[in-house]
Amino acid sequence: MTDPTATALVTALVSAASGATAGLSLPASWRARVVGTLLFLSGVAGLLAGLAALSGHDWQTDLPDLLPLAGIKLAVDGLSGWFLLLIGAVTATVGVYTIGYAGRDGHGPGSRTAMFTLPLFTASMLLVPAAASVPTFLLCWELMAVTSLLLVMTEHRRHEQVRPASVWYAAMTQAGFVTVLIGLVWLASIAGLDFTAIRTTTPGVSPAVKGGVFLLCLFGFASKAGAVPLHPWLPRAHAEAPSHVSALMSAAMVKLGVYGLLRVGFDLLGGGTGWWWLTVAALGALSALYGIVQAVVATDLKRLLAFSTSENIGLVLLGVGFAGMFASSGQPAVAALALAAALLHTINHAGFKTLLFLGAGSVVNATGTRDLDQLGGLSKRMAATTALFAAGALAAAALPPGNGFVSEWLLLQSLLHPGGHTGTVLALGAPVAVAIIALTAGVGVATYVKAVGTGFLARPRSSAAAGAHESPLSMIAAMAMAALACAALAIVPALSVPAITQVAASLRLQAPPMGTNLVSLHLTGITATFWPLWLTVGLVVAVGALAVAGRTVGKARRRAIAWDCGDGPLTARMEYTATSYAEPLQRIFDDTLAPERDLDVTHEEESAYHIDAIRYRQRIPDRIENRLYRPLIVAIARLGEAARRLAPGVMHRYLAYMLTALIVVLVAGVIR
Amino acid sequence: MARVGLFGKILKTGRVAEPAVPADETVPKAAGLGGSVQVRHVDAGSCNGCEIEIGQAFSPVYDAERHGVRLVASPRHADVLTVTGPVTVNMAGPLRKTFDAMPEPRLVVAVGDCARNCGVFAGGHGVHGSVAEVVPVDVHIPGCPPEPAQIVATLRGLSGR
Repeated sequence: MTDPTATALVTALVSAASGATAGLSLPASWRARVVGTLLFLSGVAGLLAGLAALSGHDWQTDLPDLLPLAGIKLAVDGLSGWFLLLIGAVTATVGVYTIGYAGRDGHGPGSRTAMFTLPLFTASMLLVPAAASVPTFLLCWELMAVTSLLLVMTEHRRHEQVRPASVWYAAMTQAGFVTVLIGLVWLASIAGLDFTAIRTTTPGVSPAVKGGVFLLCLFGFASKAGAVPLHPWLPRAHAEAPSHVSALMSAAMVKLGVYGLLRVGFDLLGGGTGWWWLTVAALGALSALYGIVQAVVATDLKRLLAFSTSENIGLVLLGVGFAGMFASSGQPAVAALALAAALLHTINHAGFKTLLFLGAGSVVNATGTRDLDQLGGLSKRMAATTALFAAGALAAAALPPGNGFVSEWLLLQSLLHPGGHTGTVLALGAPVAVAIIALTAGVGVATYVKAVGTGFLARPRSSAAAGAHESPLSMIAAMAMAALACAALAIVPALSVPAITQVAASLRLQAPPMGTNLVSLHLTGITATFWPLWLTVGLVVAVGALAVAGRTVGKARRRAIAWDCGDGPLTARMEYTATSYAEPLQRIFDDTLAPERDLDVTHEEESAYHIDAIRYRQRIPDRIENRLYRPLIVAIARLGEAARRLAPGVMHRYLAYMLTALIVVLVAGVIR
Repeated sequence: MARVGLFGKILKTGRVAEPAVPADETVPKAAGLGGSVQVRHVDAGSCNGCEIEIGQAFSPVYDAERHGVRLVASPRHADVLTVTGPVTVNMAGPLRKTFDAMPEPRLVVAVGDCARNCGVFAGGHGVHGSVAEVVPVDVHIPGCPPEPAQIVATLRGLSGR
């Protein structure tokens, strides 16, 4: 095994396996440290495997004896390499974080089950992009779903909300799995089990079948990716899972939905027609808008981050959808640019969302609450966490010099320069998409200003926040690793151009028209250049100069009290809360969000003119969930009730069922 | 119809205000304010006689704003602090805080006799002392209460307009 990709991937899997063994066998006092270290090693090896694949070391193997009937087939190409790199990097960061986060008490995230399942989850995520046959892919996909479900349930004894969240997640992920299963098995029944066999056969398959397979797979992959309207599991599972699991799920696992879409849509089905990708882009646009509008009004820190995941996945899907549309309308250069933007955004989002979820975990660990209205005042008590979370928020807000800006800029460039005759759909769709991205970016800034401003600054709004303490060193180190990755992606994004070219090649697309200059991101063919390094340096110098000038130029500074109208000291109750900060935006989106408001006024007994107490309550429900899923759940529950009559507990009836089934099977067999 | 009538009347009537009060030349023109004087008013325990006169000074009739003087709602925005009344025990702290909260350069104008020497309230229960005992006073406007014209004259002196 001299191939670098194979060596690294096997090292990653062996480290993960030994991590799982260690999690199962070691005593609680050592468990987190050993598992965390092995997870880190596994992640680094996965990252190296991805880098090796992206530098052109494709690798494949066939292990027919590992699984009865189908066997295991693995293959790593450029596309797999990109996602191996992403998952490896997130795993390595989370590995370091786990050491401090799981602690030594052996409960919750440090429990035997959680510590056993965590390496299995990351290993199965590494295997999904490496799978090269339908059974292998489905097996790894399901292993990933089951292990992540177990991890979501980690704290089910501590929090009541974990169980309903797990049920939602289990139902949605299994529904998605079933559709992917049907889609891929349908495809396999025509074209064979092997991905290489499918690739050679699909050009001859009828477009109707290909469209059906694509739609089925799209449903499954979009539900895994958390795209609206298949998102209801996401805010629940991400919020209730332990934070290192949330980070893994949000930063790495949902990206595999995008991977599946790229693999099946571009690679296996060979690109397809315009309407497939229009559907993808429409899903993306809906996710981006709905996700960010829900995020800006969320008061639960992790729910906010989860909806922001929906938003970012929406942007990625917009990129993927437009890449497909450009490709099918004969514009390979712009298609490659849109794909490059989508790919870059997957890795950018992985970087900042890892950082933000780990930061949220640090906050929850220190205060015991995720409610932004109860937080505040953490900047003095948790200085490192605050600084790192703020860095992540800057990246997530898609403002320069954050890394989120780079990929959104690329996406906008691809949409603003379609060029040539594009057809009505693209001519109308591209400007609409630009408007949606702009609106999303604007609301995104408000979202993250809220998260940092009300969550970390000012004074603590509760005793829990007042008693916060800084997290252990390993947690800070993990967040710093993620922050450094974000900074690297922000300052030298051009480093990713050769890798993206490799991915495009593995999808049989043209290389993106981007120059490979270290300091600038230069688009060839389109007159657009962007100097992230100079932009960052310029901003840092300008801010530094202003800060110095404020202290040195002019009269000496005088410190005065915060103006309190001459009355007593200011209290935390006078601060902006997350709810009040988002109130104007909530008013703007009132018709979309339809918040439930409840105003109770209690009068004095003596007179209706005198008010004794006023109670105001507000809840912002997920409208899509209420309109779309509640009726479905009610219908399924009714069907379940009705189906009870089939099983009345009478032995004769059951025997009759079995006999009938046997006869049907025999008859079917004979007829065939 | 009615609207045309209203505009017509406005045009016909023109501006209605008392002829501008001459500036008080004895008051030093406030250096560094550039002819724009933002005023924060604090009632430190007045009988509200002075407040009524200050209100008149900013009314359409005397219209102190045409001389570059404005009343503002926060000491953070103010250049000049006007204080009325004897400073009561309860208002001494808030008055000092208000003064501290003002950016420099800043001036204090004590309005009325009570502000200078506590007037008829001197020695009374709950009276802390004159304004000068709490914050440094730059200009004093005498009178019980001072007339609006006198207040405007002093403020014009400060703004130099």
